[in-house]
Amino acid sequence: MATRRTIPFHWSFLIVAALIPLIELAFPGNHHVGDLLRPIFIMAMLGLGLNILTGFTGLLNLGVAAFMAVGAYSYAILTCDIYPFRLGFWPATLATVLVGLTVGLFLGLPTIRLRGDYLAIVTLGFGEIVEDLLKNLDSITKGTQGINPLPSPSVFGYQFRSETYQPWYYLFLGFLAVLVLLNRNLLRSRIGRAWISIREDELASSCAGINPMKMKLLAFALGAAQCSLAGALWASYLGSSGEPGNYDFQVSIIALCMVIVGGMGSIGGVLLGALVIMGFNSIVLETLTNFLKAHQLINSSNAFTAPGNWKYMLYGLALILMMRFRPEGLLPSKQVKAELHPTEPHAPPSPPLP
Amino acid sequence: MNLLEISDLTVRFGGLTAVNSVSLGIPSKQIVSIIGPNGAGKTTLFNAITGIYEPATGRICFGGGEACRPFRWTTALTLALIGIIAALSLVLIVNIESLWDTAITANYAYQQTFLWSKATGAVFSYFCEEPGRRVIIPFLIGALVGFAGAYAIWERSRRAPEVAARAGIARTFQNIRLFNQMIVLDNVLLGMDSRLRTRFWHAALRLPLYWRERQESEQSAMEILRFAGLDREAHQLAENLSYGHQRRLEIARALAMQPRLLLLDEPAAGMNPAEAQDLMKLIHDIRDRGITVLLIEHQMPVVMGISDRIAVLDHGEKIAEGTPKEVRNDSKVIEAYLGKDE
Repeated sequence: MATRRTIPFHWSFLIVAALIPLIELAFPGNHHVGDLLRPIFIMAMLGLGLNILTGFTGLLNLGVAAFMAVGAYSYAILTCDIYPFRLGFWPATLATVLVGLTVGLFLGLPTIRLRGDYLAIVTLGFGEIVEDLLKNLDSITKGTQGINPLPSPSVFGYQFRSETYQPWYYLFLGFLAVLVLLNRNLLRSRIGRAWISIREDELASSCAGINPMKMKLLAFALGAAQCSLAGALWASYLGSSGEPGNYDFQVSIIALCMVIVGGMGSIGGVLLGALVIMGFNSIVLETLTNFLKAHQLINSSNAFTAPGNWKYMLYGLALILMMRFRPEGLLPSKQVKAELHPTEPHAPPSPPLP
Repeated sequence: MNLLEISDLTVRFGGLTAVNSVSLGIPSKQIVSIIGPNGAGKTTLFNAITGIYEPATGRICFGGGEACRPFRWTTALTLALIGIIAALSLVLIVNIESLWDTAITANYAYQQTFLWSKATGAVFSYFCEEPGRRVIIPFLIGALVGFAGAYAIWERSRRAPEVAARAGIARTFQNIRLFNQMIVLDNVLLGMDSRLRTRFWHAALRLPLYWRERQESEQSAMEILRFAGLDREAHQLAENLSYGHQRRLEIARALAMQPRLLLLDEPAAGMNPAEAQDLMKLIHDIRDRGITVLLIEHQMPVVMGISDRIAVLDHGEKIAEGTPKEVRNDSKVIEAYLGKDE
């Protein structure tokens, strides 16, 4: 049988992304693409964290923004000069990941027996609680103003500066690549199999000897850790923890949109989803607004004419169209499954048994 | 000696007694069938054996012991640890803002040196000021809630399906329960997973153990698929298989667990006579591999053809047990199936 091995989308995504700054350097000019991609990488990490929970394990989580907030604030508290800790980039990031892991376990343990809608409600509530806590623990989180300024990270002796975006770009891309590799390795092992079997049929998987509680807790801890890593990088990118309102329900929903649009449980799908959703927000809408402004088609007094204000409606429309025409997502995970054994992609249907 | 010994088992759902003090011994390396009219409690019996339902009374002994999580000293230690962590967390949560103020805000000025010893001293004196309200009460509540919660979760998971599965009881379901979005090979591999030694780090970093076990398990999964006659479909999604093949795949997944006891819940349901014949041969082969088979089946030719012993349930009670010939001539069985002669 002829074998045709294609490069999985997540690798081609990472390779192309790694080339973009080089291309921009080679052709000097007023480029924005590389600059605009940085937040997309961070959101993709958030999406990957959510994908472990919702995509692989089938635990609908509507509160991932809270994990991100925990990460951002832990990182901010550990690095900012107004607190005594003043850790470097690596120790602070590592500590943030551990904090995220713990928070994931703390949320996972009491909700371990919940499923579907019930879990969604609990995680929704968790997101709101974290946001309120951050607003009201004034002396720790500085309330609504957020913690700032954070020192720019210095990695392996190199001090990052806000003028040059390339080092940041490769730092975030590197973290994204590590997460993609980790998630892919886990997906194609007994751990990923167990997660997917729990999503498909929890009773059958426990009857096959899988301990669903253990695997769900692992998913919670890992998902939360990845989301809080995204939060830490987000804080280092902003140079501030951001205000609590930056981590509200909308962020969770955007993350969920990325996973759904890309294809539940598909790593490449999450990357594509992040690119589509965030790219739409920061590239297409920006460009459209600038274009309309340049041709004086919108005036600032009329809010209805600004494309940015139509954002959530367009997201909603995109989701409805997705659900109608391609419910499995842009890059469904079935392809990931077929990739598992590229030598025999499609066995011919066998003749009926005699 | 009997591999499975059910004694005086009763399962109730509210006021309904689905299985009423049934005693049944399953001898090793035999095919035993359970028959009975619809609603007789056959599947409930299976669910009790595999730990899905909690029996109201009675014992299920498998291979000499009860198939439930044992209470070891590590269990006690873990429960105590969770209690202590919950207690400390509650102490921290209750005092978090004042603790932060006394320890950090009061002792740190912008970019000045910060003495950890001073902060620790401040925390200590803060707790000593009002130990009852600040430490003891939250600690006790936290310990109680954490310990009780963890114990409740542990207690409820004592007789869980995965415990029975790991003890060596595999089963199939009346309505097929495959992992439809997984390929056939992965469905079988999943049955082997609980016996692998690959842990999180092996999988995440792809250490040599991962590669070795992956190769070994894929090889033996293919062998099992060949045994079940499904090796040509190994890379198809499970949902794309035909009905008969899905039934076989469920059996293959159960066999991958290397069970000592295999429970088959109506494996021939919906099969035509030719497929049923193949299935009978497969079940025979499974028995010849040294696996005890407990079977629920409605197709009488299948039951009579392969069973070493038959037990008959009606309205949750065992009304007859014996060889196929004995059961066929039992007046109570005939009455249960055909009604009483008025």
